[in-house]
Amino acid sequence: MKKKKVLSLLLATAMAATCLTACGGNDTTTEPETETTEETGEETTEETTEEAGEETTEETTAADEEEITATIKVWSPSEDQSAENGNWLGTMCDAFNEAHPNWNLTFEYGVCAEADAKTQVGQDPTAAADVYFYANDQLTDLIAANGIAKLGGETENYVKETNSQAIVDSVTVDGAVYGVPFTTNTWFMYYDKSAFTEDEVKNLDTMLAKDKVSFPLNNSWYIASFYVANGCTLFGDGTDEAAGIDFGGDKGAAVTTYLANMVANPNFVNDKDGSGLAGLRDGSVKAMFSGSWDYAAVKEALGDNFGVTVLPSITINGEAKQMKSFAGSKAIGVNPNSQYPQVAVALAKFLGSADAQQSHYDLRSIVPCNTELLAQEAVQADALVVAQNATFDTTSILQPFVSKMGNYWTPAENFGNSLLNGEVTADNAAEMTESFNTSLNTSAVE
Amino acid sequence: MKKKETASAKTRRFISNTIVHVSLAVLAIIWLFPIFWVVLTSFRGEKGSYVSSFFPKTYTLDNYKRLFTDTSILNFPQMFMNTLIIACFCAVISSIFVLSVSYCMSRLRFKMRKAYMNMAMILGLFPGFMSMVAVYYILKAIGLSEGSLIRLSLILVYTGGTGLSFQIAKGFFDTVPKALDEAAFLDGCNKFQVFTKVTIPLSKPIIVYTILTSFMAPWLDFIFAKVICRADAKYYTVSIGLWRMLEKEYIDSWYTCFAAGAVCVSIPIAILFVCMQNCYVEGMAGAVKG
Repeated sequence: MKKKKVLSLLLATAMAATCLTACGGNDTTTEPETETTEETGEETTEETTEEAGEETTEETTAADEEEITATIKVWSPSEDQSAENGNWLGTMCDAFNEAHPNWNLTFEYGVCAEADAKTQVGQDPTAAADVYFYANDQLTDLIAANGIAKLGGETENYVKETNSQAIVDSVTVDGAVYGVPFTTNTWFMYYDKSAFTEDEVKNLDTMLAKDKVSFPLNNSWYIASFYVANGCTLFGDGTDEAAGIDFGGDKGAAVTTYLANMVANPNFVNDKDGSGLAGLRDGSVKAMFSGSWDYAAVKEALGDNFGVTVLPSITINGEAKQMKSFAGSKAIGVNPNSQYPQVAVALAKFLGSADAQQSHYDLRSIVPCNTELLAQEAVQADALVVAQNATFDTTSILQPFVSKMGNYWTPAENFGNSLLNGEVTADNAAEMTESFNTSLNTSAVE
Repeated sequence: MKKKETASAKTRRFISNTIVHVSLAVLAIIWLFPIFWVVLTSFRGEKGSYVSSFFPKTYTLDNYKRLFTDTSILNFPQMFMNTLIIACFCAVISSIFVLSVSYCMSRLRFKMRKAYMNMAMILGLFPGFMSMVAVYYILKAIGLSEGSLIRLSLILVYTGGTGLSFQIAKGFFDTVPKALDEAAFLDGCNKFQVFTKVTIPLSKPIIVYTILTSFMAPWLDFIFAKVICRADAKYYTVSIGLWRMLEKEYIDSWYTCFAAGAVCVSIPIAILFVCMQNCYVEGMAGAVKG
């Protein structure tokens, strides 16, 4: 009995051992081989596509493209793909395919809102879309993740020629253009025309003296507008990372005092969780600050009394100062890991072209940014377009997208909360502003 | 004298009962309040995410109608079906995993038993989403991160680790008398037969519990679904859909639909629970007779 057991044990170990050695042998012999073949394979394909890319971008100018059969992945917000909104993306991509008879393209669509590009593309750039839509404040992160390609040559010139300088700047980092912009992104003021006249909406204090105004004070995207109004700066002109955020000193304290007084004003209503829009609906609020995404809802709530305009000015120390919102753009980016870079770049350019923007505007009221389109009368007659572009041009600063800007958001939100709950008052404004400024320039995560 | 005592005892009992019941009622109300509010909001006629009154001014069924018919931007019916399919597979597979592991831990004695239980305990201390990026890259490496295989990856993710959460079921199996197993062995059962013919029929409550919890996992999980589905809207589960309804662009028009969606999600879970409740009660009462 015992012998049998020992024997079986021996046999079992022998079997296991052969198994292991066999596996080991396989490992050592085959794996490196496959690896090397894979590596060389990858390298060669990369090289060839790169070369091909360069060649074809030159060739396209000669309007003679090599034949390509490819599947191109495109990510956009789901509204662009919904049949209800005219399936803008699908229509455009089909048109693109027709415009390039030598390219036989199949499109694969994915859903990714502009604001999610950073996370969706950043998660795995090698498996992300060839062409995608992004909001320009994510540019630094996308570059860091190697998820976005520099545009060059013809496409770069096209972007520079058809957009205002401010919009080109919004997609430029260190002199390189990183996408084809197709709309601006900022916030402005909606108001009830029966409550305020066109003269009154030019100054926030006049408005506050007359009727209820709602402002999202504890939202960091909005609160900076007051500080920027009084000459405070973020990273110098917005690109000088070393300059830091300057919300301190007398000019900052004056704004904090102003805000503390504004919070105490019974006509001021903080806008949180959609309360401003609800207020416009039931008439308890007469003006609110938001962007184009609330246009349809505000229009429906106010009907004929619908008014939209640029930001008002505020009176600090007897002087009128213009509020300035953060502005950015939304653009179409190209993935540097794309297998067919020449197709991806051409598609991005096509989707950002004047015709595509026109169609985008017709189908989804996306405010165009192409300078030629903006000059058209039909577009000029649209109150929303005028307000958004006037805001972009006159009452906004380009939202800085240097990486230290990441330190701004949370302290700014907390400061708004402190203002609202009365921790910050006109009396301790100077002191609180200084500590606020310090926290803005301190990195929470090193 | 005696009568008086019982009378005073009665009043004392009455008073303590009232206190207990009133406090329980208050707690129940506090606990049910948010659920009640979500249900009310799902029937709310006014639009928007912010309301000034607790009770809606108008009631409507349109939110439910829109949720299931307006599929152009957020395809809720599809998300619902995706989740339901994944949940059904999970309920079966994870239950088998959990029950088998628990049975082994409770009944079998082997060298790694203690070590395995310690390891499971320690691994259980780490939040699962810590590994999400690694999980994504592993799935990508074996080619499961694209197309319809996403559903399979999600099933794998939700079921793969459940063998580690055997503690509760093991505790239950420990209470089933060993004498029953021994009797079954004497009658010629092997270990697997003991498991299926003796332990399982005696453990209905814990089986119901296991099935319910594993069925619920895909409905509740957001983070893995988000990381694995990425931009493939076709394979989104309800939690991603509900989350998207609260984004800046959608919140105003979709908020009431969001509440309706939240109510709908609870329906399959509730149905499963009602169906299984019979077993639950039976199992509790039945355990061992002689």
